[in-house]
Amino acid sequence: MTYSIKLALQSLWHEKWINFLSMLTIAMGLLVVTLVVSSIYNVNLFARKLPEKFFIVAYLKEGLTEKETQHIMSSIKDRGSIARAKYISKADALKELKASLKDADYVLEGLDENPLPASIEIRMKKEAVGPEAVKSFADSLRKIEGIDDVQYGEKFLLSLHSMKTGMETIGLILTVVMISGIVFICYSTVKILFYRRKDEIETLKLLGATRGFIRTPFVIEGGVIGAVGGIISVIIAAAFYFSVFYKLSATVPVIRAVVFPTELFLSLPAVGLFLGITGSLIAMGRIRF
Amino acid sequence: MINFQQVSKFYDTATALRDINLSIEKGEMAFITGPSGAGKSTLMKLIYAAELPDSGRITIAEWETDKLDGATIPQLRRNIGIVFQDFRLLLNKNVYDNVALALRVRRIPEKEVKALVLDALKMVNLRHKTDSFPSTLSGGEQQRVVIARAIVGEPIIVLADEPTGNLDPDTAAGIMRIFKEINVRGTTILIATHNRELFRDTGKRVMRLDNGNMVNEERG
Ligand SMILES: Nc1ncnc2c1ncn2[C@@H]1O[C@H](COP(=O)(O)OP(=O)(O)OP(=O)(O)O)[C@@H](O)[C@H]1O
Ligand SMILES: [Mg+2]
Repeated sequence: MTYSIKLALQSLWHEKWINFLSMLTIAMGLLVVTLVVSSIYNVNLFARKLPEKFFIVAYLKEGLTEKETQHIMSSIKDRGSIARAKYISKADALKELKASLKDADYVLEGLDENPLPASIEIRMKKEAVGPEAVKSFADSLRKIEGIDDVQYGEKFLLSLHSMKTGMETIGLILTVVMISGIVFICYSTVKILFYRRKDEIETLKLLGATRGFIRTPFVIEGGVIGAVGGIISVIIAAAFYFSVFYKLSATVPVIRAVVFPTELFLSLPAVGLFLGITGSLIAMGRIRF
Repeated sequence: MINFQQVSKFYDTATALRDINLSIEKGEMAFITGPSGAGKSTLMKLIYAAELPDSGRITIAEWETDKLDGATIPQLRRNIGIVFQDFRLLLNKNVYDNVALALRVRRIPEKEVKALVLDALKMVNLRHKTDSFPSTLSGGEQQRVVIARAIVGEPIIVLADEPTGNLDPDTAAGIMRIFKEINVRGTTILIATHNRELFRDTGKRVMRLDNGNMVNEERG
């Protein structure tokens, strides 16, 4: 084993340029995968938080009696997908508006009549929040006698949803392409090294070397190439994080919401190792005597 | 130890060996001679399973060569020390590492490797070339490295294909002394050569091949 490691290290050093190039390429591939996976991760995270904040507002017609209002409330509450429904009276709405205007509430001073409609703020159950479900729910609300209009972030919900599925599809394709690419790089690197040492391997066989003895240095070599590629990608990602991202997030608030999955970064060397070993095993194939 | 029954080997264009019967006992030292192209190297390759016979049966110690697989071929070869006619030295490794390879493929610990390799190099008078690379050695020196690699692992069989082809008579005699020494210790030795000097007056069996046929057997 020690001898196999020595052989692998020698070969790594001897062919350092081709190996270094492979490592860099692998690092780039892994970075793309990381970028894709963390984007998807963030969009998913965002999409998952969304239902808690998401609500539908049903504006009520003017001049409804208390009884009519209560009837509407109870018919809304009867629906299974509702988490909470809150009645906001005309007065409450005005109060809220005033509160949100703070010191600028003088703009409302000239009004002698409250122009704001009463409304019902509806929060749906988390699992029920989806573009289609929300749309059909909103449509059914519109049919209720006494409801004037229903509003919710329809466009936003739709675009978030399609962004999520779109990113997942592109991400999956990119990840598969990149991972096959990395395996292929390790494959071809080891294949080249293997062919260059063909005579040597032939001699080893004649001296009584087992398949394991012949393979081990190449597997180590492929593994090291993959793992070092992973380490390089972690270094690049960390450098990017601290130099660009970290500074930007202080000034651009949106960026602060982005989460970096640290476990994913730290697993890159292991992913590289695995892909490198896989590539080199494929490259050697079955060794025949 | 080495047993051939009606063994034939054909290449695309040539018949290398035809109906060979051969039996070499454990601890025996024997010679194969014959003109160039007679089939001597082919016979050796059949023994270490680099080639398989087209017909007939070959038994080496407890192994039947056509029943070997990826797991047992290495076992057979670790028991055979081979002096290849074309040397098969690794040009990117020095003398020490070339000889040590025969031990390393057996996963012998490095501590033991060193002593054994230096001993073997001493036997072939190359102790002073330990760190040299094959390309800087003379033909005779390279040949002696190959011999050191063949005997370093104390195999039960040594096959030597033209082991003195590049050696002057004195050095050749020195190599033959080494073979006799390890033969006395119980190693079975088969030497292919067209150099009559090697078997003259040895009293050992000499088998003559010609054009793939075993033509006669005599005592040297
Ligand atoms: N791999 C091969 N493919 C085709 N023909 C071969 C092959 N190896 C050997 N031969 C042929 O088989 C015959 C025997 O060859 P072999 O090498 O056994 O002869 P040899 O007795 O060792 O000769 P020399 O004394 O020159 O080493 C020759 O005619 C040779 O051309
Ligand atoms: Mg020959």
